[in-house]
Amino acid sequence: MDFPDTTDLSTALEMAQAEQRLAAAETPTRLCEDWRFGRPHKYAAELVALMEQADNRGSVTVTGADDAADAIDKDDRAEELLLHTIGSDKILALHLAHFGKGAVLFLEKEYSAPITITYETDGVFLPTTLIIAAPGAKAHIIEKHVTHGAGAIVCTRLIHAEGGADIAVELEEGGSGESRAMNITNIRSVDATVRHLTRHSKHAWAREETIAEVLHSEPDSPADIQLYSANRLGGHEVLDQHTHQIHDVGHSTSNLLYKNVADEHATATFAGNIRVEQGAHHTDAYQANRNMLLSEDATVHSLPGLEILADHVRCSHGSASAPMDEEELFYLLSRGIPRHEAQVLVADGFLTDAIAKFRGE
Amino acid sequence: MSLIIKDLHARVKDGATILNGITLEIPKGEVHAIMGPNGSGKSTLSKVLCGHPDYEVISGTAELDGQDIFSMSVDERSRAGLFLAFQYPVEVPGVTNANFLRAALQARLPKGEELDAVAFYKQLRGRMKELGMDTKFTSRDVNAGFSGGEKKRNDILQMMMLEPSYAILDETDSGLDVDALRIVSDGVNAMRAPFRSFMVITHYKRLLDYIRPDVVHILYKGQIVRTGDFSLVDYIEEHGFDFVKNAEEA
Repeated sequence: MDFPDTTDLSTALEMAQAEQRLAAAETPTRLCEDWRFGRPHKYAAELVALMEQADNRGSVTVTGADDAADAIDKDDRAEELLLHTIGSDKILALHLAHFGKGAVLFLEKEYSAPITITYETDGVFLPTTLIIAAPGAKAHIIEKHVTHGAGAIVCTRLIHAEGGADIAVELEEGGSGESRAMNITNIRSVDATVRHLTRHSKHAWAREETIAEVLHSEPDSPADIQLYSANRLGGHEVLDQHTHQIHDVGHSTSNLLYKNVADEHATATFAGNIRVEQGAHHTDAYQANRNMLLSEDATVHSLPGLEILADHVRCSHGSASAPMDEEELFYLLSRGIPRHEAQVLVADGFLTDAIAKFRGE
Repeated sequence: MSLIIKDLHARVKDGATILNGITLEIPKGEVHAIMGPNGSGKSTLSKVLCGHPDYEVISGTAELDGQDIFSMSVDERSRAGLFLAFQYPVEVPGVTNANFLRAALQARLPKGEELDAVAFYKQLRGRMKELGMDTKFTSRDVNAGFSGGEKKRNDILQMMMLEPSYAILDETDSGLDVDALRIVSDGVNAMRAPFRSFMVITHYKRLLDYIRPDVVHILYKGQIVRTGDFSLVDYIEEHGFDFVKNAEEA
């Protein structure tokens, strides 16, 4: 189903709040720790200018869940006011003030086929996605962002799952080579399992801020969030990824595996943090960032982090960045596979486990 | 039509010289065994012929049916008909056996021609059956998590699928139990043909009892120091390599 443009989405109070936040927030600069490698003087400034002129020219299409999908309405709008960012309050405030349209999924059952949400634009489009999974819901959602020309999609996303829900959300970001993208994603799992995968292709610049909060209502209820990302970057692509895994209560789990292959002049940045709040004992959390560099001119920045305020936890992180394994490449070459194809096979193979884990394979 | 190596000198890149003037001809249709004590240069010879980047040729030539091997890239050598079954087959995470072999076979087809997928899988399953391999290995990543014996079998599977003109088996018997050794040897023997030759590198007679060589060479300190028939294998089995070392000292 296609959602028409919707007007008058906000109450006067909400608009006032949005404007207040916009006035208070500042455009990120080099002094902002969360934009340390994000070249804010270039990309943040450019994004702010684009968002101020947002035309919200774009389409929203949802397939596979006619019973559960709807256009964003006023009540949904209130949710966006509660979102958190990782250093981009200005971007969120601009989104609140200039926001376009979006999709809401309210899932109450098991869906055997994937549900697809597609945003497509050749302008500057500021959509919002809300995915609410009620107890017992099970679904695989594919969210596609398609940006043409010098366009941009700046999307705010809330994924909330409760009471044994099992939700897999896949974000496919596709650009034109000169397009830009930003996603501010908040994930909340309350006694539920949420798996989240992001994949980027051909944006000149893209930034992700993903805040995953693991909660449960009963100490023995399982709550789990798994974050994955797998990207092949080339040309002068810049991908700036920031994550927070937040454990507010004990006996909860989270796992993160972000993998990037950087070729030519591409730049990949990962900055992640696991925060275990006071009293959140018996938390089990892991975070890994792996990068493969295919060119002398490619750059990766990897900043994993832990912030543990509780005892009796199992938390660890790992980071590794290296060129392609020469022995693996030689093995493929020795079977007659031409060098370029061999490199593609090994690079795609490097990313495969993040995708396989997301799919539960 | 032969694999002809003339006065080959080679070294580890920026390091020690390992091959000190190897001259060897393996005509099509023949199986040649290369034996020798540890560190004599057997594996280096195989890797130099296949173009491993850790080694460099100092001087000498190697021709495959009249084509200069050393002027070809690694993948070109393979497509020209050269195959190496590795002493330690490499794990390639994320690349399935089926995709790996499809890419290798596709690379051998003329530009614009697509591999017949149905025929490919039929052939692959047939070859796996011959080698006693479970067909689930088609969807497993290349050698990832395989036992030593499974890796060796997988290399032989690749050889059977790629049907090279010249195959080098580098200590294929190491890591194989008796049953696996017989199955792998049967696979190699089934490929023996007038249009194909083998260089079998091994330390032990047991592999050569199955894959009976036409010619046996002893490599020592980077040179072929003895060439003979199968009786040389029996002699080594009984006396070891001391007679070669003693001759050198004398």
